[in-house]
Amino acid sequence: MTILQTKNLEASYGKLKVLNGIDIEVFQGDLIAIIGPNGSGKSTTLKTILGLLKSENGEIIFEEKKINKKNPYEIVKLGISYVPQGRMVFQNMTVEENLEIGGFILNDKKLLEERMKEIYSLFPTLHDKKYQKASFLSGGQQQMLSIARALILKPKILLLDEPSLGLAPNMMNEIFKIIKEINENGTTIILVEQNAQMALEIANKVCVLQAGKIVFKDIKEKINLEKLKKIYFE
Amino acid sequence: MLLPQLIVNGIIAGAIYALVAASFSLIFNILKFMDLSPGALFVIGAFATYAFNILFGMNFFISLLLGLIVVAICGVLINLIVYTPLRKRKADNFSLLLASFGVFLFLTGMILLIFGAEVKSFGFPIEKGYEILGIVITKLQIILIIVSLILFVALQLFMTKTKIGKALRAISDNPRIASTLGINTEKFTNITFIISSLLAGIAGILISLEQNLDHAMGFSVILKGITASVVGGIGSVPAALIGGFLIGIVENIGIWFLPSGFKDAIAFVILIIFLLIRPKGLFGVKTREEVSG
Ligand SMILES: Nc1ncnc2c1ncn2[C@@H]1O[C@H](COP(=O)(O)OP(=O)(O)O)[C@@H](O)[C@H]1O
Ligand SMILES: [Mg+2]
Repeated sequence: MTILQTKNLEASYGKLKVLNGIDIEVFQGDLIAIIGPNGSGKSTTLKTILGLLKSENGEIIFEEKKINKKNPYEIVKLGISYVPQGRMVFQNMTVEENLEIGGFILNDKKLLEERMKEIYSLFPTLHDKKYQKASFLSGGQQQMLSIARALILKPKILLLDEPSLGLAPNMMNEIFKIIKEINENGTTIILVEQNAQMALEIANKVCVLQAGKIVFKDIKEKINLEKLKKIYFE
Repeated sequence: MLLPQLIVNGIIAGAIYALVAASFSLIFNILKFMDLSPGALFVIGAFATYAFNILFGMNFFISLLLGLIVVAICGVLINLIVYTPLRKRKADNFSLLLASFGVFLFLTGMILLIFGAEVKSFGFPIEKGYEILGIVITKLQIILIIVSLILFVALQLFMTKTKIGKALRAISDNPRIASTLGINTEKFTNITFIISSLLAGIAGILISLEQNLDHAMGFSVILKGITASVVGGIGSVPAALIGGFLIGIVENIGIWFLPSGFKDAIAFVILIIFLLIRPKGLFGVKTREEVSG
């Protein structure tokens, strides 16, 4: 079942056209990796889906409804959560406060507490540091916090932007293990990565983005790494 | 016992500056521009309360309440009529600052038109003041300091313990990310203007009880308030309080040694020194402008 689909999506920053017609179809339960070189429009694709950037053309359809015109604060309520590139945790707030803001739209205090508990059992490190300011966390811990902050809403689909960026290899492995787990527990994921190899390991589908266009997409089983490298590095 | 008296005088003035500084800081934290309109809301708070109380003969506390309602409405209207459309058109911070100066001039001009130029007073009987350890202080001045401190504690609790306060801090750190978590930032901008206006309005009412009402009193308050918020470090509530007290005290000690005409210049000199040497203030916190990537 299709949960999210973009059709011929186009977007620009001022006069700079960045997305030149993106078609992505995401099925329930997918872990779809979007890979591509720096500046190819990966982050912009996610931002446009979230409404942070308004699309100029094309459609974004989530659960059979067009969401192009919606604002970010409305889109999250539909069940689309976002882990931005560069983590972007709230630096001057504690770990716990970051999670509370993650749960901002939950209007039930009990429910928020419950979710918080679940998050802490998934990320024990965050529990140990819950009264610390986010700025004191390591890069990996901040990435966990950023993921946890999005996960607290139990989104239907999670958009992850380069979660491995700037992390040490063992931390990278840990984050990817967590992402895989989240997906196995039923959350659909769009994973944007520059680290194609890592992304390929956990994804079931791959799209390659180049200059704002999908130049290649397939399910993982059919992907020949050599062929991919050829496209990727052309 | 000269120095302690000067310090106490400084604290009295500082309590007012601190409130205005907090008013400036709140808006700066959310919108990242120096909004001068609190200087006008300071004046409006005083004159609106004066109008209800003296001109319409209403009970003082009801007048106070109505005065603050007027101030809050003005604050939100300024945001909706002037700043929101400008921000939608991607006006830069300098344009917004200039626009806010226009708002300030317009509103204080309106006050002058409506109420005239002569100085007014709530006409409270002049108190003799208590003498404590050789320091003279009036009851009104004590109330003024206490009200200011209570407001600061309340503001700090509001920002750290309530859902709205936490959302405001999140927006201050990163509005775009806050919006992806379900926070309608425009709505919270209006909440910011309400709180900020109330702080400025209360400060204006307090000073007009203690001294007089003058349509021109907003200008020096802008200078003191901005200096206090810069000295303390824009971004935290306690910093505004300490910045306010510091400016008040330095200024009061300063005018003992300098001709009184230099009073406003002292704050200005402090402002320039801090902007040059330590622009993030004594307790400055990290701020981040925009999302990258
Ligand atoms: N906020 C912005 N303003 C202007 N141009 C931007 C902005 N963000 C990204 N770009 C440009 O858009 C293009 C795509 O960027 P991005 O989507 O971040 O790429 P990726 O995530 O694939 O590295 C790049 O050329 C980049 O310079
Ligand atoms: Mg990117």
